[in-house]
Amino acid sequence: MRLLSGQRAFVLQRLSALVLLAGVAAATLRLAFGAPAGLAEFRAWAAQPLAAAVLLLLAGALFLHAWVGVRDVVLDYVHPLPLRTAVLLLVAGALVLLGGWTAVIVVTHAL
Amino acid sequence: MSSERPLFLNFARLRFPVGAVASIGHRISGVLLFLTLPFWVWALERSLRSERPFDWHIGPLARVALFLLAWAAAHHLFAGIRHLLSDVDIGSSLRASRASAWAALIGALAVGLAALVLP
Repeated sequence: MRLLSGQRAFVLQRLSALVLLAGVAAATLRLAFGAPAGLAEFRAWAAQPLAAAVLLLLAGALFLHAWVGVRDVVLDYVHPLPLRTAVLLLVAGALVLLGGWTAVIVVTHAL
Repeated sequence: MSSERPLFLNFARLRFPVGAVASIGHRISGVLLFLTLPFWVWALERSLRSERPFDWHIGPLARVALFLLAWAAAHHLFAGIRHLLSDVDIGSSLRASRASAWAALIGALAVGLAALVLP
């Protein structure tokens, strides 16, 4: 857990927030000013290797951001050490599984 | 001064200014977004793989869920931008921070309501 605590967690939380903010801004601008886009366009775009890399970067930022945020909440409210460890392990396991599933979805779509 | 401190955290008597509401909302919406992560990943999979991914009837319960998800995403975004700006000391005066807190709260509710009306 040392890997993602203290100042490093603080910095990563803000860096990942900026990456996600850029993603949300780009998607919003595309929807607001581009040609009307449907699911077919999204699929064609996501099938490109570079787009898949962007989606993986955004997913990585999202799951990292979620881990630091939920970890902060758990440290604030769950005090008994065995329970805290169990909850953190459960959260970490869920994030690893969901992150892996996301990567499989994005990569298999682009292949 | 120290004798003025409350001995009990009585929530009915705690002062909860608008900045605190925006801040706790950021935390609550973040937890909500985390708890609904399986749904977001599933939605990504459906939108990439299925021909007609979201062809369903939207009942009253789904509308409440839709409002909550849109509100949570928007509030976490707006309040998060507010926190990032205050990290670099933008909008830290009491007046500006109260104004931005109101903007985040109202903007997020507006996005939630828009999600109810649009589809």
